[in-house]
Amino acid sequence: MDIFSNLLIGLSVALTPVNLAFLFAGVMLGMVVGIIPGFGPAAGIAILLPITYGMNPTSAVIMLSAIYYGSMYGGTITSILLNTPGESSSVASTFDGYPLAQQGRAGPALVMQAVASFIGGTFGVILITLFTPLFSLVTRSFGPPEFFLLVMMGLMTLIAMIDGNWRYGVISALIGFALGTMGVDLETGQTRFTFGSAEMIGGIDFIPIAIGLFGLGELYYVFYQGMHLEGAGIVQYRKEKRFWPEWRDYVETRFTVVRASILGFFIGVIPGAGATIASLMSYSLEKSLSPTPEKFGKGAMAGLVGPEAANNAASSGAMVPLLSLGLPGSAATAVLLAAFLMWGLTPGPLLMTEKPEFAWGLIASMYLGNMALLALNIFAIPLFVLMIKLPYRILAPAVILICTIGTYSVNGSMLETWLMFAAGLVGFFMKLYGYSPAALVLALVLGPLAEQSLRQTLTISRGSFGIFLERPASIWIMGVTVVILVAGILLYRKRQ
Amino acid sequence: MRGEGTLRAGFLLAILFLAALYTYIAFTELSYLSSAGRLGPGFMPRIIGVALVAMCALSLHADAKHRGAEHSVAPGWRSAAVLALLSGVLVALLEVLGGLVSMMVFMGAALWILNRGRPLQNVLIAVLLPVGTHVVFAVWLKASMPRGMLPFLS
Repeated sequence: MDIFSNLLIGLSVALTPVNLAFLFAGVMLGMVVGIIPGFGPAAGIAILLPITYGMNPTSAVIMLSAIYYGSMYGGTITSILLNTPGESSSVASTFDGYPLAQQGRAGPALVMQAVASFIGGTFGVILITLFTPLFSLVTRSFGPPEFFLLVMMGLMTLIAMIDGNWRYGVISALIGFALGTMGVDLETGQTRFTFGSAEMIGGIDFIPIAIGLFGLGELYYVFYQGMHLEGAGIVQYRKEKRFWPEWRDYVETRFTVVRASILGFFIGVIPGAGATIASLMSYSLEKSLSPTPEKFGKGAMAGLVGPEAANNAASSGAMVPLLSLGLPGSAATAVLLAAFLMWGLTPGPLLMTEKPEFAWGLIASMYLGNMALLALNIFAIPLFVLMIKLPYRILAPAVILICTIGTYSVNGSMLETWLMFAAGLVGFFMKLYGYSPAALVLALVLGPLAEQSLRQTLTISRGSFGIFLERPASIWIMGVTVVILVAGILLYRKRQ
Repeated sequence: MRGEGTLRAGFLLAILFLAALYTYIAFTELSYLSSAGRLGPGFMPRIIGVALVAMCALSLHADAKHRGAEHSVAPGWRSAAVLALLSGVLVALLEVLGGLVSMMVFMGAALWILNRGRPLQNVLIAVLLPVGTHVVFAVWLKASMPRGMLPFLS
């Protein structure tokens, strides 16, 4: 009953005209961010963060969160019409989405992906509503050892799930940790790695790093791969006789959408796993359960619906550790955490009780945001098709311009602007050689927390690491981490 | 043009060099324990530095062991390099020409190189987008914009 009364409070916050306007702006921007290949939600949120400075904190976070889950919807449009995923989480949607479009079923594919995304997203929000307060209650007893282990778990999961060289993943995370140690040591007041610069005393702000790695770095990579030279081979959906799906499309995928939503949400809850893993696992699951697995990859509707429901449910699931523990599980949620902190909102076990109007306002806005996205994805497709046609040669300079000015406007710092440019170059090489910019950003954000927690833990235990084996919650977290690592190793071997 | 494998090793060596420098500073300038006898500012950097150097060395060894045929770089490298150069020029110009003029110069140059044969479109975008961005950041959001060295341009 308490949950429902809180949700009503949340709805009263989310339904104010100002918050509704920013929610709608957020979902629109999220769609645009999702549509642009190589430009993810982390970069989108980081670049748009400075624009929210003059706003009310709740409106700002509602808008930035809407960009995050809105991008999950947008990424699929290019997967279906262009065979190019707008987001990594939409890669699985190309497997059957594009073949469906080639068979003259682009309209039904677009509508079905919108419906599946809506069901997955809304299902995820319902579980957030139920699970986040529960999580907050459980995690209230967590101390420094558990927080340290949770940070490690998130990073290890991210590294274990990297589709490539795990050593490069570890190096990426360690670089992030190293950058996180720069500035004043909060416990002793001593400066570290500042090289005499007054601007460095505050440490390295992760916003220029995130904008550089995910904004500029990805853009350089897109150009390097020659994607800007490719002609827009967009499949025309308006030429079709039937735009709406047939009844059998809904009937055949009714269990798929339920399975994918459940799977996606729980994968999303695990820090570091994320929407991409969820969508790929859902695709594999559906293919293995299907009586006609040979149709997968040739235009099976379940092959599109499963990943779509899963990645949207996962993006909702990722909000649970963020809201209840203050731990982001991906680069995009790390940027969201920065937005929360910028507004003086500290996510964690006490957020739900100390700032209920904010926490529940955000959750309630996600129900409304998913509804708006469903409508947009069905009725505003021509608008987004126009955006797909916008050439990279015009888009790229515009994105660079906004990245640069956006970074400067945060603190009016030229050092940070140069840092963003350097991060762009580093991000390009990281992407090119299979390093993990996401692990770097996550470690940069969580590094100070990990260091503080570890030092506090060792102070409590008088230098003994045995403390991690003395607390039941710590043992549980380590157990889950081991399971995830084993799963990651098995996946890695399977890929090899 | 050098092969992809050589550039990959070069990138890893650069990280190794910086990691070694970081570790050196962590061991020489930052104390392991604080004056109160607790873990000091050098505790975490030492762990991170040693781990980073070790992982870089391990990766270099593993990459050298499994090194296959050299692949040539992708055809778009020239466009990517131009784009990176233009980004650097934009950042450098901000300090000299200020926000609005730098944005116009950058957009004009970038579109002249990347979007050839459409002069009217390029001029319109090179003027309207910077003006729009300036209005959003400087006027609407009242965010700080680079003023540049030339007062009459700011």
